Amino acid sequence: MTDAILSLNDATLSLDGNAGRVDILKGITLDIARGETVGLVGPSGSGKSSLLMLMGGLERASSGSVMALGHDLTTLGEDALARFRRNHMGVVFQSFHLIATMTALENVATPLELAGAKDAFERAEAELQAVGLGDRVNHYPAQMSGGEQQRVALARAAAPRPDILLADEPTGNLDGVTGQAIMDILFGLRDRHGSTLVLVTHAPELAERCDRVVRLQDGKVLADSFERAAE
Amino acid sequence: MSLAIASRIARRELSGGLKGFRVFLACLALGVGAIAAIGSVRESIRGGLDREGAIILGGDAALQLTYRFAEPEERAWIDARAEAVSEQVDFRSLAVFGTGETAERGLTQVKGIDNVYPLYGAVSLDPAITLPDALADRDGRPGAVMDPVLIARLGIEVGEAFRLGEQEFTLTAALIAEPDSAAAGFALGPRTMVRTTSLENSGLIQPGTLFETEYKLRLAENTDLDALREAAETEITGARWRDKRNGAPGVAEFVDRLGSFLVLVGLAGLAVGGVGVSSAVRAYLGEKTEVIATLKTLGAESRTIFLSYFIQIGVLTLAGVGLGLILGAIVPIAFAPLIEARLPVPAAVTLYPMPLLEAALYGVLAALIFTIWPLAQTEDVRAATLFRDVGTAGQGWPRARWIVVTLALFAALVALAAGFSGLVSLTVWSAAGMAAAFIVLVAAAWAVRMLAKRIARLRAIRGKSAARLALGSVGGPGGEAVSVVLSLGLGLTVLAAVGQIDSNLRGAIERDLPDIAPSFFMVDIQPNQLETFRASLAANPAVSDVQSAPMLRGIITKINGRPAAEVAGDHWVLQGDRGVTYSANAPDDAVVTHGAWWPADYSGPPQVSFATEEALEMGLSLGDNITVNILGRDITAEVTSLREVDFSTAGIGFIMSMNPSALQAAPHSHIATVYADAEAEGAILRDVSNTYPNITAIRVKDAIERVSDVLAGIAAAITYGALATLVTGGVVLIGAAAAGVRARTYEAAILKTLGASRRTILTSFALRSAILGVAAGAVAIVAGGLAGWAVMTFVMDTDYFFEPVSAALIVSGGVFATLFAGLAFAWGPLAARPAQVLRARE
Repeated sequence: MTDAILSLNDATLSLDGNAGRVDILKGITLDIARGETVGLVGPSGSGKSSLLMLMGGLERASSGSVMALGHDLTTLGEDALARFRRNHMGVVFQSFHLIATMTALENVATPLELAGAKDAFERAEAELQAVGLGDRVNHYPAQMSGGEQQRVALARAAAPRPDILLADEPTGNLDGVTGQAIMDILFGLRDRHGSTLVLVTHAPELAERCDRVVRLQDGKVLADSFERAAE
Repeated sequence: MSLAIASRIARRELSGGLKGFRVFLACLALGVGAIAAIGSVRESIRGGLDREGAIILGGDAALQLTYRFAEPEERAWIDARAEAVSEQVDFRSLAVFGTGETAERGLTQVKGIDNVYPLYGAVSLDPAITLPDALADRDGRPGAVMDPVLIARLGIEVGEAFRLGEQEFTLTAALIAEPDSAAAGFALGPRTMVRTTSLENSGLIQPGTLFETEYKLRLAENTDLDALREAAETEITGARWRDKRNGAPGVAEFVDRLGSFLVLVGLAGLAVGGVGVSSAVRAYLGEKTEVIATLKTLGAESRTIFLSYFIQIGVLTLAGVGLGLILGAIVPIAFAPLIEARLPVPAAVTLYPMPLLEAALYGVLAALIFTIWPLAQTEDVRAATLFRDVGTAGQGWPRARWIVVTLALFAALVALAAGFSGLVSLTVWSAAGMAAAFIVLVAAAWAVRMLAKRIARLRAIRGKSAARLALGSVGGPGGEAVSVVLSLGLGLTVLAAVGQIDSNLRGAIERDLPDIAPSFFMVDIQPNQLETFRASLAANPAVSDVQSAPMLRGIITKINGRPAAEVAGDHWVLQGDRGVTYSANAPDDAVVTHGAWWPADYSGPPQVSFATEEALEMGLSLGDNITVNILGRDITAEVTSLREVDFSTAGIGFIMSMNPSALQAAPHSHIATVYADAEAEGAILRDVSNTYPNITAIRVKDAIERVSDVLAGIAAAITYGALATLVTGGVVLIGAAAAGVRARTYEAAILKTLGASRRTILTSFALRSAILGVAAGAVAIVAGGLAGWAVMTFVMDTDYFFEPVSAALIVSGGVFATLFAGLAFAWGPLAARPAQVLRARE
């Protein structure tokens, strides 16, 4: 794949735990094309979220390389990684991870502000309007439901119009109906901004909405629908 | 039933360890420890004064006379009642070393003794010779010993000669310890000790000169001191009695008052610690919300749950108080040699149960006051919390009954402190001040939050990520604003108040002096010296003014025929002897407010003009008769006028002035104030002491320095007390910062995910600390200033001036402390990998 926006080459991740060193990812090689939507699936503990963290530079690979937009994330320092994310990436988590001491508007405006956008608040407000929270801009996370908090998190991830959107089980903490609505918004945002979307999910119906599904097991890629299609 | 279950639940929960309670235990232990230590030292001094009462006093009892020795029949009366009697004479003089231009002069408090001195205790000399040896004649001159401070000041060495009045002495040793020095009270000059007999030719003890004599008595063991006192006071007119039960009443009272005041400062420390205690309990119960909800789901009643946590906090309180008591008991004992060395009075440092009990009661009450609200809020946790995230639970007001319980506990604490200290009004005012500071600080924390929230939303702040993050954090829900502003603010308020009082006290001495203060007070000027003395000074171009007045000293014994104390209580004018003068005409600057001055040639029955303010305080009015004992003779005079006396001018001011014929015949001397150029003071001192060896010149500058030294000592003791408060504040601050590490780590992880650099995050953390530090410091300046104003205005009865330097130091201290605590705990959050932090929260 020549125009890969994300490219992992024999990437491994080992972490030191109480029970000793654990190999979480074992030689992942994967290319993801610009504009592609990829679903990462697999049983619990298979390494899906860890792989997503590696792609976002939130975790550093123990060996191998992780290239994003031509940058090797394994060689960048903490601050360079932060700068890279604010310019090119948006991340959504299962537990939303909003800053409790900030209102919805402030949460969404923060990455824009960090990126130096002069119109951070105007754009943040527009993004909140787009996810249907135009009337909750001044509410704090604790004053919102789980679904509303996840919509704020989505708006926050999408507001800087990132090249890459990473979502780690964004509906995992939500009921079916709310989860469905969140996914509609997520895919809508992705379509609107043309971002590449990598989505970790347990739900087969969500994975089916992706262009491509990568199945992980025991830290390795077990199956890749792209490769199957290529064959 | 519920108590048994609650105890079991409490035991199970406590078995999880005390990890979250380090700050709780430290705050309580420090607060209780400081109070226990202060109380123990105070008790040690009391114990020392009691144990060595006879040594401190120099006898089992002492009779003091002003201006005179006991008459032969009085002495016989004393001798008949004591196993041994030591006669001492005490007065101020100038010690002169050398001659001519290079002579050195130093003000000294001379003590003349007999062969029997000391009845109790021992004098310690360097070289280690006996006192009789030291005072025996050397080189044809009587021997003398001197305080090392005076030896250094004069530059004299052992074996050299010096002069007191007209008598030369040989310095034979340095006076290292004088057993009865504490009983002597405040002295302007260091001690010189000689034989009384060797003073005969000094010209210093003449009729009318200012001296005091004291007769120290060794009594049979079973002597009825009260009966002897009564008899002595009847038999010997004007005699003042002291006995070993309270050998140094001034010192004992001073130690009691200072100790009690320091305990109040310690209570402020306990209040600061209370904030930490409260925060720790809140944090602990916050983590237990799920446990409480689960217990409720399983059928536990609110009462059972409340009791369970009450027992847990109770056990921890006892542990904290216990630690504090151990600290408070051990520290004074461990530092006993240091404490004893620095105190001018003996201290019996050992374990005293009463101050420990006092500190324990304060600790338990304070812990109850500060934990009852968070504990009460366990009642509001609902089982539904398990299914819904109720982030704001436990933030509101508790139920009314808990507010009543808290107020009752607070009242009990204040009542206890008032009872123990005996300083009822000071305690009540301090408590009110603390409560007010508390309310002001909570209000300030709220205002800071609101302001931060508002500023964070200003257009101008947009784009300044670090500033907005900091402001958002201070203004947002669940922040640390209240606990930080409260704990640091309270600590800084105490320190600011002490700073303001300290600098105002120091400043008051200089400020309250008139623009042109006299250079010298000259005392013991004999009537036959007055004219030439005045003339020689008037001829000196460096002298701008000399004022003089006749001076006698007397004790007011009766008012309208009744004992004076019955009429005017313990007014200061009645405590000890007072200066009395006489004058045919009203002085030029006198303002007669009531009645009229006697005619210049008046020679009828004695009349007295009394100082207006003091007369009104004592309930005196025109026509009243006051009896003043002067030189053993009672003079009864009618109050015929009241006049303003301004003691703040540092000039000559007398409470009582009589018509000349009432006093003129009595032996007396004159006092003078000399106004001169500062650079001429040395020469004037030299001339006067050379020409009139009997005249004692007290340099005003030296006297002020001596008073300043005493005040500085008191201020230092108070500052140490306040520092204990600040240390507790520091622990609370560090506790708050440590408790916030988890939240900061999480926040830093999110911010890194959103693209924030570590510099931005660190700046934001530093800014929020600085905002809270400035807020706490600003409130501390206002609250401390108010406290300083109240103390200076109502207690010290002087003007208050805001002192900006210590205030600025307080604010910078506050900012630095919060910055330090905040940043010290920022490295962990900054270094943490976002993925691990965020996944731990999934």
